[in-house]
Amino acid sequence: MGEFVRGYLGLVRASTQVAIAYRGRMVVWFLTGFFPLLLMAVWLTVVAGSGPPRGWTTGDFIGYYAAAAVLWHLSGQHVVWEWDADQRSGDLSVRLMRPMHPFHQYAASDLGHRVVALAMLVPVLAMATLVTPGLQYHLTAVRALAVAAAVLLGYLLSLVMASVFALVGFWTTQTSNLYMLWWGMGSFVSGWVAPLALMPGWLRPAAGVLPFRTTMGFPIEVLTGRLAGTQVWFGFAVGLGWLGVFTVVYLAAWPHAVRRHQAVAG
Amino acid sequence: MRRWRRYPRILAICWRAALSTELEYRLNFVANTVLSLFWMCWAAAGAAVYFQFAGDLAGWTYPELLVVIGLFFTVNGLRQALFQPNLQRMGEYVRRGTLDFMLTRPVDAQLLVSLRYLGIHNLLDPVLGLALAGAGLAASGRGVSAASAASFVVMLAAAVLLLYALMLTLMALAVVLVGAQELDQIAFGAVELSRFPVQLYRNPVQSVLTVVPVAFLTTYPAQALLGRLHPVVLLVGPVLSLGCVGLASLAWRRSLRSYTGASA
Repeated sequence: MGEFVRGYLGLVRASTQVAIAYRGRMVVWFLTGFFPLLLMAVWLTVVAGSGPPRGWTTGDFIGYYAAAAVLWHLSGQHVVWEWDADQRSGDLSVRLMRPMHPFHQYAASDLGHRVVALAMLVPVLAMATLVTPGLQYHLTAVRALAVAAAVLLGYLLSLVMASVFALVGFWTTQTSNLYMLWWGMGSFVSGWVAPLALMPGWLRPAAGVLPFRTTMGFPIEVLTGRLAGTQVWFGFAVGLGWLGVFTVVYLAAWPHAVRRHQAVAG
Repeated sequence: MRRWRRYPRILAICWRAALSTELEYRLNFVANTVLSLFWMCWAAAGAAVYFQFAGDLAGWTYPELLVVIGLFFTVNGLRQALFQPNLQRMGEYVRRGTLDFMLTRPVDAQLLVSLRYLGIHNLLDPVLGLALAGAGLAASGRGVSAASAASFVVMLAAAVLLLYALMLTLMALAVVLVGAQELDQIAFGAVELSRFPVQLYRNPVQSVLTVVPVAFLTTYPAQALLGRLHPVVLLVGPVLSLGCVGLASLAWRRSLRSYTGASA
């Protein structure tokens, strides 16, 4: 066990160093992640033109989308891309020979990049709260802890969900499109297209129990203090439940999937 | 002059070769078209959320916004089909010295570098985008006059030229910076900004996007189609886009002067 943890930490550290070495690439990646700010701009136009929709001020929108712009960089898409690319280039064969399960190799490598991303983005967000009028999060120690836990849970769920989709690649050799389709459909109930409170009423109950909200809307709602105590516990319960479901699916599918592995290239 | 006349033929040969390579992956083509359709519906449904709370957004009704979203997919599809495959290869040309060989060929290097490849995966996207724009136009209840159709064609051509100028500038940058795969992301970002009409952003962003000609990509062509484009813009569009292509071409030539070659 100790050896496993040491190996894991080593991989995370290596990936952190890769991320830092290619920091220019990361900065470009951040700059092109402005989509949430685009949506924010449109909402501000709605507010300016027709008045704020039930109980949402300009500041609420800025706070929501500033957080969304950071959280976006924790979605599991990178894992699917890497897995997808390795399956087609044949690099997966090498990964399979290593003593650590490929899931952990990809997870560790992704984790290193996410750590660097957060280290770069959270200070930017903190600075933005100082200079942007209306952008403020009322954080208590308890809430900060809850936010950290919600972000971690959301990240873990994205990671496992993405890995389940990566397994589909053993049958189809093409998974990133499928995952993006899943993500895109989920984005209506995740809080990505719009804050869930502003989505049509019939969509909201479904959003509460589907897995997508855990990865985006839930951590933001905890951060912006829109949830009462029981709602927070419910959100964690739903997220943990789905994390369990996808973990079981992954573990059950893995032996079947890897048996279909055909070493492509070399 | 005779030199120029053979370029369409060369381009046709290049594109036929690109097509036949990509036809190996027919299923991919179908999958990508389905995916594009999905993202178009996604964008249309996502934009509908705002109209629960407002009748129009800065003067754009929902059907009119659909025209812009449709044109966004048209322009983005053209970027992915015509420009992205070439821009992505540019870094490799410079790093591996392939550019040396392209410069020695008896054909204008700019043509070869900028238009040699064609991305068949997204070839249908512009058609789908135009269909959505057409649907939005029909739903908006505005008719199309011959004048508005003609000015739309002019403005869309200007948009494509502007995009070409941007790509060529990025290619010149790739020569100077030796590589840089991320340049493609800049082109992506510029087009992504045109997903909504510029009036939906407030100042100062709106003014910036009008000067940095994001407004010319989708907002003005949509306004032309809807018959409410300011006549001055109709004049500015072609002049601006041709000027940008000229400048980009100049930048490309200048960048080659600093190119030292990487083969051998």
